Amino acid sequence: MDFRKLQSANKIKSAQLLFGMAILMSLVVWALLTYFGNVGIGVVPFAVGIALLSVWGSYWASDTIVLTMTGARLITESDNKQLYDLVSEICIAAGLPVPKIAIVEDSAPNAFATGRNQDHAVIAFTTGILQVMDREELQGVTAHELAHVANRDTLVSAIAATTAGALALLSDFMIRIMFFGGGNRRNSNDNNQNPIALIASLLILILAPLAALLLRLAISRKREALADATAVAFTRNPSGLRRALEVLDRDSTVVHQRSNAIAHIWIESPLDGSKTSRLFSTHPPLSERIATLKAMEGTS
Amino acid sequence: MSVVILILAAVVIIALLAVMFRNNLVKANISVDEAWAQIEVQLKRRSDLIPNLVETVKGYAAHESGTLEALVAARAKSTSASTLGETAAADGQLTQALRGLLAVTENYPDLKASTNFLALQEELSTTENKVSFARQFYNDNVRKLNTAIGTFPSSIFVGSAKVAVRAFYEVENPQDREVPQVKF
Repeated sequence: MDFRKLQSANKIKSAQLLFGMAILMSLVVWALLTYFGNVGIGVVPFAVGIALLSVWGSYWASDTIVLTMTGARLITESDNKQLYDLVSEICIAAGLPVPKIAIVEDSAPNAFATGRNQDHAVIAFTTGILQVMDREELQGVTAHELAHVANRDTLVSAIAATTAGALALLSDFMIRIMFFGGGNRRNSNDNNQNPIALIASLLILILAPLAALLLRLAISRKREALADATAVAFTRNPSGLRRALEVLDRDSTVVHQRSNAIAHIWIESPLDGSKTSRLFSTHPPLSERIATLKAMEGTS
Repeated sequence: MSVVILILAAVVIIALLAVMFRNNLVKANISVDEAWAQIEVQLKRRSDLIPNLVETVKGYAAHESGTLEALVAARAKSTSASTLGETAAADGQLTQALRGLLAVTENYPDLKASTNFLALQEELSTTENKVSFARQFYNDNVRKLNTAIGTFPSSIFVGSAKVAVRAFYEVENPQDREVPQVKF
């Protein structure tokens, strides 16, 4: 398998999923119009506004927020020369400026990158990952993380989170209004409503938040697969990242911070200690990622 | 009336697309220049490391004067290279000479244990990786530019954007086109 093909396939798939989000949003707007008439539409800018406000702040300040939440400590070149070298090597391969580098005191091996753009990027490693991995494996991990920066994944996940958030708010508003006398308003507004359209729009409003969540997680999984392919484009060495993922697979310790809020940013999901269902996971299964990288080893 | 508006809209869209494709060509050309500058920076970095390396090795392995001289000669050649072809050829020779020297150092445990050499070793392996990634990044950018020049519709604007197909940076030694060696 060729990393260029994998990169474009994953880019197309995540674009399709984002388009799916847009379709879902229009379905919900249609459902609102059908169920509540023009009165309901006034809520849309309101919900989108709230979702934008709540996500935009954490997107804009993602580097500082995540550093605080994980307790990561910024380091300089003299603190860890080899790590600094590793990161700057991949930056040359990726054509990126060297990001802020941070270390999280945690014995579980893991790493993440975030930041609203390449000039505000931060890449962090746990002390555990620095201990268990050799230079080549760390190079693979670094390339995966910088691939997230190069692919603007903080932005992609912020867009997905905003849409999913707005949909959840909309559906929540609407269900509340329905239970507290929405029926009267409906009858007074429209007297020739199609009952099938009414039931369909009700179903859409109820199911939209779940659908949005599943889409959001699917986007996250595609971006992870894309980051693996892009990492190979940077290093031209699939075996480094493959061996790193195998190390993570063998390791059973899990990062202490099991916060759902930032689970998606680690290279290995910190929540997957138990058998979570595939659909509800932010990352593709490690075994699948390892198999894809193995398939690349033959060709690139 | 509406026909006029439609035609006007079409003209505007086509003009915008033309500007976009032409700008993409210019940008791709600038990226190649920047990638070239990065190669030069990294080659310079490596070149600057060599006198220190030679001094360190001399102290422990005086018998290897042949290998050391080859390295110094390759360095001199690389600093005088000016064109892309010359630089790439000199780069290849210097890479070879460095590998030769590092292979020889295996026979000198005292040298390998010296603090000076240990510090140099990380510096050398990261520099080798950086040189290698800079070449790869350059070639990726050349590939993008050459693809844009060769494909429609950006191929129409080759003349007006004043860009031309660029040569790949090819080091003679085929090993260098492969994965960078990681030593630790």
